[in-house]
Amino acid sequence: MSAAVASRLTAVCRQFQRVLTVSSHTQTQYATRAFSTFHSCQQSRMYDSWCFRSPMNNRAVHTSCVRKGLEEFFDLPENWGEQTVKSGAPWTAKQLRVKSNEDLHKLWYVFLKEKNMLLTLEQEAKRQRLPMPSPERLKKVERSMKRLDTVVEEREDSLRLLQTGQERGRPGEWRRNVFGKTFWYRFREHPIPWYLNSRYKRRRFFEPSHVAPYTRLSLEKYLRSKIRKEKREKRNQKSLAAMFPKKTALASDH
Amino acid sequence: MRLTALLSMAAKAAFPRDYRYGTNRPWTIAAQRLNPPGKKRRKVFVEPIANEDWHVLRGDTVEILSGKDKGKQGKVAQVFRRRSWVILEGLNTHYRYIGRSGDYRGTYIASEAPLLLKDVTLIDPTDRKPTDIEWRYTEEGERVRVSVRTGRIIPKPVYQRRDGIIPQQWKDGPKDTSPEDTLQKTYTPSLKTLEEEVMEKMNIQEDRRPRKSYWY
Repeated sequence: MSAAVASRLTAVCRQFQRVLTVSSHTQTQYATRAFSTFHSCQQSRMYDSWCFRSPMNNRAVHTSCVRKGLEEFFDLPENWGEQTVKSGAPWTAKQLRVKSNEDLHKLWYVFLKEKNMLLTLEQEAKRQRLPMPSPERLKKVERSMKRLDTVVEEREDSLRLLQTGQERGRPGEWRRNVFGKTFWYRFREHPIPWYLNSRYKRRRFFEPSHVAPYTRLSLEKYLRSKIRKEKREKRNQKSLAAMFPKKTALASDH
Repeated sequence: MRLTALLSMAAKAAFPRDYRYGTNRPWTIAAQRLNPPGKKRRKVFVEPIANEDWHVLRGDTVEILSGKDKGKQGKVAQVFRRRSWVILEGLNTHYRYIGRSGDYRGTYIASEAPLLLKDVTLIDPTDRKPTDIEWRYTEEGERVRVSVRTGRIIPKPVYQRRDGIIPQQWKDGPKDTSPEDTLQKTYTPSLKTLEEEVMEKMNIQEDRRPRKSYWY
């Protein structure tokens, strides 16, 4: 069973390799032949040199070929060997927002399969040291997936805010670390409570007494740098205004 | 989260504060040759123009006021707002060799130099003379460029996509969704999460309850 799958995979890889490297009118012949052999259930006897000849495979009767949908890792056969493949615009968040949750769920898997196909193509092109046809397709799919994720997050956020009033999905709180800095500590999920977790008890979420004076000093430093930046900005704007005076009466320039 | 933040920091190209941005994109070899890591150049002062006051757009026809090609009209190919630059197609050119290797001196091509914004003006489309431009509001409330001299509105240039696709002439491929299907509304707001809705549709019964876990 697994030998048949492996032989099928190697055969498909070989066909693909052949299609990418051969670039003349013979390429179309190869493609059609590969296509026909791929889709017809051939005996494993064809791939003699590739698969192991185990005693089990020497039966006269062979079971049907194992396809397992591996053709979805590859592009449509008419695009094999092309230098550029036409592709449309990516989905925008506005277009995705009108779709139902079920549609979005299905679309996510469509995107995922397309992305897997393009990544396979990219890797094979790298292996063959050839340029990948139309790499912008990968960017389009990734952007569409990110936008879909954003839309789903928006829906979850709105539902959570409505039902619980919580702004964040993941619990957390403001804590002070050992250096005296206040930061948003994001909670992690644990199987045991905190008073039984020896590693958590060793973490210090308070500043020791000898660190306390430095908190004030670092705050002063931060304020000073902020004021300096603002003053520098104002000074720069003033000098730019002096360098480029605004012409009140628009001088005629022709 | 911290690992991804670190990786994104590494991926983001870091430039020094006084990096001089030129016509080449900073990651190209030409830009790296012009701005090697240790080089310090005199600072360029750019007139501060707010984004909404910028009146020259890509695709506009403008006239040059000073320089080699004074008085000529040309189409804007590229705009660099940070340096108040405008590059016109085929005007203000200097000639150089490109693609030289070994003994071959390369192809002799004309390359355009950028023009400052104050050296170009937009052209009134009706009488094809240069004018000053102001941003004004129409009766409908739309913000448009109006020529000061004649009072006529200058329309925005047609936006041409960089990949050369014209949306009106596009034919859908086998993997493209048709416009009707894309815009069809299927969303009905409900108080269910995506997971709950999908489980309902697919008749998935989840009777397991999650084990008690502690968040801290």
